This record gives sequence, structure tokens and C-alpha cells, in this order.
Amino acid sequence: MLTHSPLSRRVALSAPAAMLFAPRVLRAQSPVEITVHYAQPFIYKEAYDALLAAFTRREPNIKVNYVTTPNYEEGAQLILRQAATNQLPDLSYQGFNRLRVFAERGIAQDLMPLLKAEAADPARIGYTPNLLALAHFGGFQSGLAFAASNPVTYYNADLVRRAGGDPENFPRDWNGVLELAGKIDRLGDGVEGMWFTWSGDDWMFSSLLFGHGGRMLTEDERDVGFAGPEGLGALRLLDRMVKEGGMPNLSAAAARQAFTAGKLGMIFQTTALVRGMVAGAGNNFTLRTTGMPVIDADKGRLPTGGAAGMLTAKDPAKRDAAWKFLRFSTGAEGQALMVKNTGYLPCNQIAIDDPQYLGEFYRENPLFMAAVKQIPVSIPWYAFPGTNSVRVTQTMVDNMARIVEQRATPEEVQRDMAAEVRRLLPRRS
Amino acid sequence: MSASLAAPLPRRGTGEALAGWMLTAPAAIAYGLMLLLPTLATIALAFTDYELGAPAFAWIGLENFGELLSDRGFAIALRNTILYVGIVAPLSVLGGLGLALLIESGTRGRSFFRAVFFLPVVSLPVAMAAAWQYLLHPTIGPLNAALRGIGIDGPAWLSSSDTVLISLAAIGIWENMGFNLVLFLAGLTAIPRELYAAAEVDGAAGGWERFRLVTWPLLGPTTLFVVTITMTRAVRVFDSVAVLTQGGPNKASQVLLYAMYEEGFTYFRLGYSAAITLVFLAIVLALVWLQTKVLEKRVHYA
Repeated sequence: MLTHSPLSRRVALSAPAAMLFAPRVLRAQSPVEITVHYAQPFIYKEAYDALLAAFTRREPNIKVNYVTTPNYEEGAQLILRQAATNQLPDLSYQGFNRLRVFAERGIAQDLMPLLKAEAADPARIGYTPNLLALAHFGGFQSGLAFAASNPVTYYNADLVRRAGGDPENFPRDWNGVLELAGKIDRLGDGVEGMWFTWSGDDWMFSSLLFGHGGRMLTEDERDVGFAGPEGLGALRLLDRMVKEGGMPNLSAAAARQAFTAGKLGMIFQTTALVRGMVAGAGNNFTLRTTGMPVIDADKGRLPTGGAAGMLTAKDPAKRDAAWKFLRFSTGAEGQALMVKNTGYLPCNQIAIDDPQYLGEFYRENPLFMAAVKQIPVSIPWYAFPGTNSVRVTQTMVDNMARIVEQRATPEEVQRDMAAEVRRLLPRRS
Repeated sequence: MSASLAAPLPRRGTGEALAGWMLTAPAAIAYGLMLLLPTLATIALAFTDYELGAPAFAWIGLENFGELLSDRGFAIALRNTILYVGIVAPLSVLGGLGLALLIESGTRGRSFFRAVFFLPVVSLPVAMAAAWQYLLHPTIGPLNAALRGIGIDGPAWLSSSDTVLISLAAIGIWENMGFNLVLFLAGLTAIPRELYAAAEVDGAAGGWERFRLVTWPLLGPTTLFVVTITMTRAVRVFDSVAVLTQGGPNKASQVLLYAMYEEGFTYFRLGYSAAITLVFLAIVLALVWLQTKVLEKRVHYA
């Protein structure tokens, strides 16, 4: 998907030149004020406040004003609305799966020239091809990944032990996991075996699909990619979770409550919730995390959730200032601040590799390590093309509900889901 | 003399009209800006393919409405909304009436019970929805725990497509009943005591006879108002769906306003969303018209 274009000579020559002039530009800079938008303050507020404090020390001439929205959905609405009335903020942090909409509607800007101006090889300053791919939509670098997450397994070590399992050796594949979940489910007393976060959006379904080595759409994005054996395998797993794992029909919120109350053996969801789960579980039981059960050790991949910053400023001075903030927030130092204050994964290779940034944090917070270990098999969250991008995900969730309620077989659901999604793909001649 | 008297009259008339216009101006301007213009804009939008953030839009005539006819999601939303209103309106009107009669005839704790049943009306719907989510929780909720106590395995109230609409309707009844109760109480106190005495003299001794002959006919205007307002409130159901079920599972609790919200603000199709809004508007207007024109004839105004 991501093409690595060889370094052009002009860019290679301009990079040192830009560095040469940089100090003079800095000195001449007059105070500038920028507006930065981010969503989900209940998760991110501490991180952004820490970033702002550190950034202001470094760039006293740039004043940053935050605008927040309660969630990503309203964040996307805000930007689309303000794009229509020409009141855009200068920088906005959006969910990975919404970035494509902004890229296709001409709101996001290509960040590659700015990165290249700083480092001929962006990997040198921590932006490796894998990390850049997370926010590469619409054919260009529409954003820079700011916070990443992948799905992990949370389990109640006490229930695992009561059901005869070994919390230190949690099963590594679905056969073992489903067997253990079934045993926990049979403990009775209102205890349920497991819950997989299939509702809400297609993110967790894609972990089953990517786990089989499958893809959402074909390479050319003209047809669905889940109509084959990988898609059927993913849906059959969902069916087995209900039949063998004793997965109850719960909403995501209800399942989290049941888990933190100690009434659910295991729950499969984003690592971004580790903080909340630790707080919710308290002293009720021993909470553990581990990676997702492995489906295909070679081809299997996992989707990456999270947010990326996209540049929307048009005024050159503001654009320059907003870029500085984006670079700082996604640089090694900014990423260390973000991780410590949220629990998301870092999106800068230097912050990942160099122990001076996060080594101590991960030693003290081992529950976050499950997701870190999965970084090598993580690929971008797939966003569907065209105007029905978000509706497609709802169509898939609606169809999966039929399996969870045991009203349709995986084969029937796969057929209907493929037909309905095909209708929603952009028509091309 | 008469001519000199008559002359200033028209001028005073225009002056009065002007003063009248000036006095109504604030309300008229507010009405125009806050209600009329947005409604007109919505009507216009319904005939376009406008999408949030799109640089341009085109007039597509009745295409949005044509799509509504073949949209499975919209058909389900419409059916669910009608079912929801069909359950919530009669039960919360009858429940409100029954409670009002009980409280009215009771001798002690009137204001206490009035306050208790009115509480749901003044509480924040979103916060209450969160409380309901806990009460109806399939595994750790008090309701299913109580059911387990008597040996019944309770259903997953809000996440099973069999029970989700009934659960939401029960919450809707709980929300509306207190409001209806207070309206009925006001209606009951307005009934003159002498009529009951007269009815007794005429031989209507039983409670049911008195209700049938005096209370029910005289409550007519109140009942009409309560029915109208309950139905429009029920058609508007949104908060509980948005917080508790998001229309799921598999659209089992999809309702009109949530479908409108999803189309407009999740899928960004404002034109199509406006078309759904117009359908909603037509239903509300039809309800109001039906009730004022048809039912008013049968209502006995004392």
C-alpha cells in the first residue's frame, strides 16, 4: 500500500539548506496563536496538558488553544462542518479510520514534504514506514500517527485458576482459549466465560480477519476481500465463541462492567482501556493481559486503532507553528509524555527503541506490555473508500449480531455481508 | 364634527398595528430565526445530495424520498417507532390516570407520591439511561439477580433483539407517566365537588359509576392534551436509544430520530438525513392535526 519513493535529488539538496536557514527563521518569528483540536478529553486531557506545558517551554512564541470534542465522531463532524464555513482549527487529531474521509475531501494536507524538509529519511527521526503507514490515506501522508493501540486479551486470573487453568500459561490459540472460556462459563453463579468486542465498529472483526491473513477489500479496492476462506474463518470463530466459549449477548459497556465486577472470565478489546480496567477491577481480582490468540503465526496480523494529527492550517505562519506542535507531539519526547498519561502505544520508533524514554514505565506497568509485543504484527486499521466509508462498518456489525444471537450461520452471514458491502462500495466504470 | 372625529381613527389604527407589530417583533424574529428558517432550510436540504464537508451539492429532486422507500433500515426504524409509540402512549396515559386517581383519593402522603412519580421527568435522561443500563444488566443487574433468586433466567434485556424494544418502551413509560400524572392531578382538582354530590343524589353511588359519569367526561380536555403530548414525546424517542443500544442489535431498536442522527452525523449524509426529518415532521404534524380536528369534536368541555 505504501510506496517508498526513492529520495529525489531536489529534496536531498534542500534538506541541508533548510537546516541552514532554520535558525534565522526562528529568530525572526513573532508570536503566533494556533487552535488545536482533539477528541476524548476523558482519555487524553492529561497527555495534551503535559504536551502543552513542555511545548510552551520550548516554543514560548507559540500560543496553543485547545478545542475538544467528547468523541471521535463529533470531532469528525466539527471539522467537516468548519471546513464548510472556513473556520477550521490549525491542527486536528482524528481517529485513524476517519482520516480517509478528510483525505478524500481535500481537508487533510500532505505532510511528506514537511517531513522530508526536516530529515531526508523520516525514519531517522523516528517515523519508520510502518508508523507512517498508519496515517497514510487517500494516496498521501494525510496525518502523523499520535497514539496507537491494538487488541489484547484481558483475563481474570482468579477465575482462570478456579476453572482449572494456569494464569501463568494462558493458551496461545483460539482452541485453547475457547476451551478455557467454556470451563469458566460452567463455573455457574452468574459467571460468564468470555466476551469479544464485536459491536461498535469493525475493528475487532478485522483482528479475526487479519489474523487469518485476510483483507477487507481486494488490492484494487473494487470488491470485498472477506468473501473467501479467511472471512469465513473469522465468522466461524465468532460463532464458536458463542457455542463453545459461552459468550453472552452483552453490550460493550455491560461486558466491561461484568468483567470488572469479576463475573466474566476474559474480555478481548483495545489496550487503550488498560488504565480503566485496572481502576475498575481494583482489588476484586487479579487482572492480567496477554496478546491476542494467534490464528496464523505467519500471515496473521492485527489492526491498529488510535489517532493521528492532521494539518489543516492555511496561513503560512500558523501552518508552520501547527506543524511544530504536531512534530513535537509525535516526536520521541512528546510520545513518551503521551504514553505515560494514557496507556496507548508510542508512534515514534525512537520512543519505542530507546529505553531512556519509556523503559522504566513499562517495567513498572507490565499490563501495557501485551500490546507492545504485538507492534511487529500490527498493520493499519482499514478504512473503506468513498462516501459510505462509515456505513460499511455498521453493516458488518449488524450482520455479526445475527451470529451472536445465533439467528444465522456464519455461511449465511458471510454471503449477506458481502452482498450488502458490495452495494456500498463506490461505483467505478 | 363627525368628520373631524372620524379622521384620526385610521391613523390610530395604523399606530396600533405598528405598536402591535413592534411588541410582537422580538417573538416573531426569534420564531423566524430559530424555527422557520431552519425548517425551511431542512426542507430545501431534503431535495439535495449534500454531504457534510463536501465542497458542492446538487439538486436531486425526490431521489432521497425514493431511497427512503427502498431503505430496509428506514422501514425498520419506522416500524419500531410506531411499535414504541403504540406501547408507550396508551400505557403511560392509563398509568398516569390510574396513579392520579389513587393519589387523589388517598388521604396521606399525596405530595410525597406526587414528587416520587414526577422525579423521572425532572431527571437528566442520559444519566437515568446509565442507571437503567445497570438495573437491566444481564449478569450483575439487580433485576436479573432477583429473577435468578426465584429460579428464572432473565433475558439480556437491552442486548437481545427480542426484548430490547420492550425494555426501551418500559423506560419510556417510566419517563412519561409522572408527567401525565401531574397533568391529570391538575385536571382532577378542577372538577367541581358539587357534581359528585349531585351524581350521588341521582343514584350513582359506586366509585366506578362516579368515574364513568363525572370524572372521565370532565377530564376530556386534559386527556386530549395528555394523549397528544405523550404521543409526540414518544415519537421523539432518542436519548435512551443513543445511550443504551445505538439502534442495535441488528437494528432491533432503530428508531426514526436515531436513524436521522446516524445518517446525518455518523454517515454525514445531511440531504438524506433531512428527508428523514421531513417524514418525522409530517408524522408529528399529522398527529397534532388528527387529535385537534377529529378528537376535539368528541371532547366534552365543561
